[in-house]
Amino acid sequence: MYLVPLSLARRLGPALKPLRALVAGGWLQEADTDCLLRLVHPALRLKRVFARVESRVWVADDMLALGLRTNGNAHGWRPGQHVRLYRELDGVRHGRSYSLTKAEPDGRIELAVRRQPGGRFSNGLLERLEVGSLVELDPAQGELTWPHEAGSVLLLAAGSGITPLLGLLRHALAQGFAAPVTLLHYVRQRRQRAFGEELQGLMARYPNFQVRWAISGEAPAAGELAGRFQAAHLAGRPVHSLLACGPHGFVASVDDWWRAEPRAGGLQVEAFTPPAPSVGGGEQVRLRFARSHRELPGNSAVNLLEQAEAHGLRPPHGCRQGICTACTCQLLAGGVRDLRTGGLTHGPGLPIRLCVSAPLGDVELDL
Amino acid sequence: MRHDRQLTAAELDSFGAELDALRQRTLDDLGEPDARYIRRIRAAVRLCCWSGRALLLLGWFPPTWLLGVALLGLGKILENMELGHNVMHGQYDWMNDPELRGTRYEWDIAGPADFWRHTHNHIHHSYTNVLGKDDDVGYGLVRLFPEQRWKPFYRWQPLWVTLQALLFQYSVAVQHLRLDQYVKGRMSRAELRPLLRQFNAKLLRQSVKDYLAFPLLALLLGTSAAAVLVGNLLANLIRNLWTFTVIFCGHFTERAAVFPPSVLEGESRGHWYLRQLRGSSNLTGGPLLHILTGNLSHQIEHHLFPDLPARRYAELAVEVREIAARYGQVYNSGRLSRQFGTVLRRIWKYRLA
Ligand code: FES
Repeated sequence: MYLVPLSLARRLGPALKPLRALVAGGWLQEADTDCLLRLVHPALRLKRVFARVESRVWVADDMLALGLRTNGNAHGWRPGQHVRLYRELDGVRHGRSYSLTKAEPDGRIELAVRRQPGGRFSNGLLERLEVGSLVELDPAQGELTWPHEAGSVLLLAAGSGITPLLGLLRHALAQGFAAPVTLLHYVRQRRQRAFGEELQGLMARYPNFQVRWAISGEAPAAGELAGRFQAAHLAGRPVHSLLACGPHGFVASVDDWWRAEPRAGGLQVEAFTPPAPSVGGGEQVRLRFARSHRELPGNSAVNLLEQAEAHGLRPPHGCRQGICTACTCQLLAGGVRDLRTGGLTHGPGLPIRLCVSAPLGDVELDL
Repeated sequence: MRHDRQLTAAELDSFGAELDALRQRTLDDLGEPDARYIRRIRAAVRLCCWSGRALLLLGWFPPTWLLGVALLGLGKILENMELGHNVMHGQYDWMNDPELRGTRYEWDIAGPADFWRHTHNHIHHSYTNVLGKDDDVGYGLVRLFPEQRWKPFYRWQPLWVTLQALLFQYSVAVQHLRLDQYVKGRMSRAELRPLLRQFNAKLLRQSVKDYLAFPLLALLLGTSAAAVLVGNLLANLIRNLWTFTVIFCGHFTERAAVFPPSVLEGESRGHWYLRQLRGSSNLTGGPLLHILTGNLSHQIEHHLFPDLPARRYAELAVEVREIAARYGQVYNSGRLSRQFGTVLRRIWKYRLA
């Protein structure tokens, strides 16, 4: 049993202010302080966001909605954003991003996790993350916003691309958004229609909302669309404002379609897979430096330290041969190759040494 | 004193490749047991330091006071060596745990972690035992090798070394300021100022904690502030003497080699490894010795693979020793008392030209 329940621990947040100030001044170690706070409640931390799993609901054959409650350090989170969720596997803390399908002011959030063939992380969540367990989350990110002024809204989702759009949709409808809204959800098989019942319920409750499914891996039934995204699916629908989310290929084809004609409304797209990585030496890649807000062309054969310097950045460095760790930097997206060993590192949040890492494809760095 | 075989360029390449392969095998094998180990060490550090401080708050009562000093000293040694030193080398970066990330960790000694990451991780580990490049060779205070030019100042070096040992954490802290460069006019006041600010801030925090805050707490609790103050002083002293001993035994024993700056020109990977091997010396002993030295008892393995978790050095040592033997290289290893004896002999011998 814990000293206090999570709801009370959440309210301790403001009381921890003096401790945070002491940590900021270097008088206390954050790790030591967190170690003591955990005795009060295992999710209680000075700054890091921890959350407890409160519910598990299967919303499709291959998708699980996780209800979580955060510890009070999650501020300003909005549905439609995504958060990175961390779990430890074999001593390594791995993180994956999931969209917020819900974010309530009382700290309750919902994430939907889809089964990935061969995916150790997501499948581990589906099989082993029990109600009551604790996970760590990073602050929410993402720019998708509901176009409140739009005369009509079209939502296009492919696969688990439904999750951020559902978050926005639920919120907008509950707030009384009255203009017509249409959602097209592209799935391979009928049993992958995540949140299907809830969406039909919303359609019954809100006359301005319509949902249709497009099936690409089976013969479509009456009322269903067939195949992947195509212009014909949109025939006769008013498109003022469009939001699309799905894998890179899907988002790219929606984007092409949108740009084929001049349009008045707004387009927002989000892809949850990067473009296919180019492996090998000397290819053109894009380097994104998150802190300095720059995106620049790069080369997959040259170490990242030199490339960053060539673009005028001055990351800390020392030995330039992989020993001193002065150049260690966080990888935010994409993958890198260790020039000494050929070893590959993928995945957000992992520390890499710039001086001995070359980009595998497009990468984003915490620089 | 060393009888190493000269290696051809081809031999150097294969020597380097063998060590690279060894490093990679260990990297591939890192996992849960390594993570558990370092977290246990951190728990032990907290347990020792917190219980030590609590005992000191009970006042002068000899059994609790002595135990308090011992526990706090032990906690500080573990934090300095097995936790701080190793984490700051990035040995546990692969865990991706923000609390154990090498570039962010701040340790419980007078010198700011950022200073040390530069002077130690970068300068010392890249230029190990290269005269004029590696300031750790004598720290500018001591002449340890005949290759170092003699100055009259060195005549008194046994005294300087004793002072340095007693104040070791401050001597490590001050190193990064490069005051000698400033005095010689090679560094401007403007360059020194930000360093000094960082240095003072950390020094202030550390002194306030040990010599003001905790003694005041004792006063508030109605026990002896002096007991806490003296206890903290002693715990820091124990740690200073111990870390000094370990560090000096790692590089300045009888069979340790130094190198002229010319070795650095176009140095190959294999040759870099060779220099690390020749410049370092190991201590033999039981598991407790290894933990208390932060596994710097395996200084050779540490210098070959500074970013591999130190708990692996013992198993790596078996193969490193075998590789060294095959390439005809001396593997400098011995008991603590013997190795330290040879360090003292160096200090005594080279005080004169
Ligand atoms: S600069 Fe030393 S590890 Fe990259």
